[in-house]
Amino acid sequence: MKIKLFGAVAALLVAAAPVMAEYPEKDIQGVIQWGAGGSTDTVMRAVTPHAEPMLGAKVVMQNMTGGVGAIATKFVGAQEADGYTLLMGAENPQLYKVMGLGDSDYADFTPINVIARGVPLIVANNDAPFNTFKEMVEYVQAHPNEVKFGSTGPGGLPSVVTAMLTSEVELPVTFVPYDGDGPALTALQGGAIDVMPAVLGAAIEGVKAGRMKVIALVDSAENPALPGIAPITVDYPGYEKFLPWGPFFGIFVKNGTPDEAVSKLVGAYAEAVKNPDFVALIEGRGFSMLNLSGDEARAFLDKWQSVTSWLVYDAGIAKASPEEFGIPRP
Amino acid sequence: MDWTHFFMSWIDPQLLMLVALGTFAGIYVGAIPGLSVTMAVSILISFTFSWEMFDALSLMIGIYMGGVYGGSRTAILLNIPGAPSAIATALDGYPLAKKGLAGEAIGLSTTMSALGGLVGIVVLGIGAPAVSEFALRFQPRDYLLLAILGILLVGSLSGESLVKGIFAGALGLTIGCVGLDPLTAQERFTFGQIELWGGISFIAVMIGLFGVSEALMQLQHVDTAAVKQVIRRIVPEWRSVVKYLPLSLQSSAIGVIIGALPGTGGDIAALMAYDQAKRVTKNPETPFGEGAKEGLIAPEAANNAAVGGAFVPMLTLGIPGDAVTAIIIGAMFIHGLNPGPMLMIERPEMFWFILGALVLATFFMLVFGLTGIRLFVKIVELPRAVLFPLILLLSIVGAFAVNNSIIDVYFMLGFGVLGYFMKMYGYQVGPVILGVILSRLIDDNWRRAIISEQESLPRLFHGIFTSPLSAVLMIAVILVFVSNTPLWAWGKRRLSRGRS
Amino acid sequence: MHDPARRLPGEGVFSLLLTGISLFLFYQATQISGFEALSAPGSFPLFSTGCMVITSALVALRTLRLPHSEEHGWQAILPGFVIFMTVLMLFYALALKPVGFLPTSFVFLLIATKVMMRTSIARAALIAALSLILVYVVFRLVFSVLMPEGIVPERELISAMRRLLSGGAE
Repeated sequence: MKIKLFGAVAALLVAAAPVMAEYPEKDIQGVIQWGAGGSTDTVMRAVTPHAEPMLGAKVVMQNMTGGVGAIATKFVGAQEADGYTLLMGAENPQLYKVMGLGDSDYADFTPINVIARGVPLIVANNDAPFNTFKEMVEYVQAHPNEVKFGSTGPGGLPSVVTAMLTSEVELPVTFVPYDGDGPALTALQGGAIDVMPAVLGAAIEGVKAGRMKVIALVDSAENPALPGIAPITVDYPGYEKFLPWGPFFGIFVKNGTPDEAVSKLVGAYAEAVKNPDFVALIEGRGFSMLNLSGDEARAFLDKWQSVTSWLVYDAGIAKASPEEFGIPRP
Repeated sequence: MDWTHFFMSWIDPQLLMLVALGTFAGIYVGAIPGLSVTMAVSILISFTFSWEMFDALSLMIGIYMGGVYGGSRTAILLNIPGAPSAIATALDGYPLAKKGLAGEAIGLSTTMSALGGLVGIVVLGIGAPAVSEFALRFQPRDYLLLAILGILLVGSLSGESLVKGIFAGALGLTIGCVGLDPLTAQERFTFGQIELWGGISFIAVMIGLFGVSEALMQLQHVDTAAVKQVIRRIVPEWRSVVKYLPLSLQSSAIGVIIGALPGTGGDIAALMAYDQAKRVTKNPETPFGEGAKEGLIAPEAANNAAVGGAFVPMLTLGIPGDAVTAIIIGAMFIHGLNPGPMLMIERPEMFWFILGALVLATFFMLVFGLTGIRLFVKIVELPRAVLFPLILLLSIVGAFAVNNSIIDVYFMLGFGVLGYFMKMYGYQVGPVILGVILSRLIDDNWRRAIISEQESLPRLFHGIFTSPLSAVLMIAVILVFVSNTPLWAWGKRRLSRGRS
Repeated sequence: MHDPARRLPGEGVFSLLLTGISLFLFYQATQISGFEALSAPGSFPLFSTGCMVITSALVALRTLRLPHSEEHGWQAILPGFVIFMTVLMLFYALALKPVGFLPTSFVFLLIATKVMMRTSIARAALIAALSLILVYVVFRLVFSVLMPEGIVPERELISAMRRLLSGGAE
């Protein structure tokens, strides 16, 4: 108790760091792309304390928000490639090129760990006059532009999921933009919008409490967090070619970082994400654990970028063709 | 029994100490411009990672309550609001300090903050489910109307010239648009600079317009000694507490509702309460803006009431009421809880624990607020040559700390100089910050509202007049608007002439 | 001190400057998305900058018609200290990134205190050092704000110190 209070006051003696001669020699800076309290922020702040003892250094995490993560990405890209600046981000940079948000993406960075993947699903207000994906499609087609879909801007998860849906069926709906899935799900419960494509983790508590209903699980397999909900591919096997798909969280360093530093970071975070408390947090929120690094992570990132870039391009919401950047069609 | 957790933080000495420590630290975090509660709480997440959840929550709740109150200290003593929610406090608090009544002003603001805080907690304790269902009913058009109601405050913040006030408000609205549009990722006023994509930090604008420009203003008189503060009375007389009770309850009610709405918080609540106080106070002892106690009480009661309000949607639905509760939700996830609609059913003890800790934090806020004022007041009596360089340094570090960006420092300095000239030439800086606070709220909800009605204005108005909530808000907007225009004064004159 | 019935030195220029800025921003707003829809991203900026243009023009017209103020000269608008501090802060902001937080801030505080207090260098240095330590402890150590390091290898020093301390504890 005394120690705790003293710690709260002093704060500088927190990490009992073992003595190390080589990397890391000093505090590491972790730049989080999204704001405090968001899911990227929560995941990063939850996993990093487990990695610190193995690194033997403190990781000072800062939120650098804005420009759908582009500002943090640019900042880390401008720092020296010495392994002392980590980019803690989500999937967004993989779409920057086609969305016209700059010429940088994760190809300029070395993945330390691609931690987990979210599972998209489609939820609706309880009063919506449909209960399944099939019914929704029929209702929407019978009442064009009347159903309000929440969205989070071009390139956000709802726009990609909608692009995926419209590649198979016609969906004439009205999109009402929100600045995140949190506010949009709030609006869904208040009836301001009717349907929202969201990530399972953000919607699961509302679904469990019966405040919203699941219309479709956009995945190729049933999810343990939502037993009894059939994946969308059962009725619409056409979606199988895109799935599994979902937003992800990862930690990156700039290309050119010394191997010694990269391997130290990879080792520390690979252990940290296996921590039982962290696994419980990830799975409790309905994310699928990935824990990828090296070539596996690179392959995952490339596949994700190829599938998603072409989806948004074919749906007409991209500003540039993926072809211009040499992104192959899946 | 679940409700026994209410007293948990009162009985357990460790929790008691943590709440006390948090509240104490929060007062200083709130008082220093550039240190924000949001920042403190998000750092505490990694810091308290390995702690027991109750310990971590105790500290966070203390900091939250103390921090919202602490902003008033520097607002009263230096005319530099330590936090956005204390902007309205400076309007009448600083004139009181200039008269040497800082001790009395702090005593009154402390008491009223505590009272407001308690009202917020009581509403949270009794009516949380009902209030959150009410808050959910707000549609984009209702947020739009609420924000318009907010921007009409320009009328009472403009000082000598309404035109200059409107200009300042419009400038604030424009500043709030800078960056990538959050709804379409379209660049607005970015001039091709990626650094501007994130927009101009509202805290940097606030520190510049209030902190730096005020420091520069006061540098005009470097050699004059500071006003000697007479500290006769700190704890306000019972009589005056009773006298101001109706006003503080009314302000608290505004605070709870605005606080409970997701997307609006203590800063807007305090400004709206100030405006309301100005409207309902018929004959203030001192005119507003020159040290009216009503102008101090209303924002202080409202911003602390908003704390309880912000917990309402958070505890009942897992929806954050403001930035701080958003981070506390994150902390609860890390500690293995799932804040959401099921929290009250699965873990009701959490609700009671938070309620109890909030009451305790309010109590400590009152204790720490009313003691040590003498010491705090000494700060203003420091030589200006020591105080102002330090304030300027704090402003720079604080602006940098918001988003770890040097660009924010440049903006802060730019707005400092702009604010200086605005003050010299009779423009008020209050409307600018009001505009910045409300810009996103108006813009986003205007667009959501009109998109929902398929770009049709008649359909939007039809929607407004067929929903009781929207209609009430619309009527409020019309009334406030009319009462701010010359037409109203003319009508009143006619009326009184007719009677006599 | 502002008297609405008199024009202070520079007030006319300031009001014209604001009008100019407003016009420029209004033009920028028309470039965002044009007038394509009520819900376009450019609609609200058009409204806000439009308000700025109208009000700033009204203020400028009114101000330019006012008689000059005789009581106040430029001295009252921009006393020496204000100019001095503004320039000092500008240099501070420019030096912050290349030189680093600690040395820049120390020099800033030292000069400001020395000039305003008219005291000895030693006393000013002491006050500056105390202020700086206070700010550093609160922001860097307690709140982990990484200020630009510049020429002082702060992070290495802190790490080394922490190691020393924890080494001593084990």
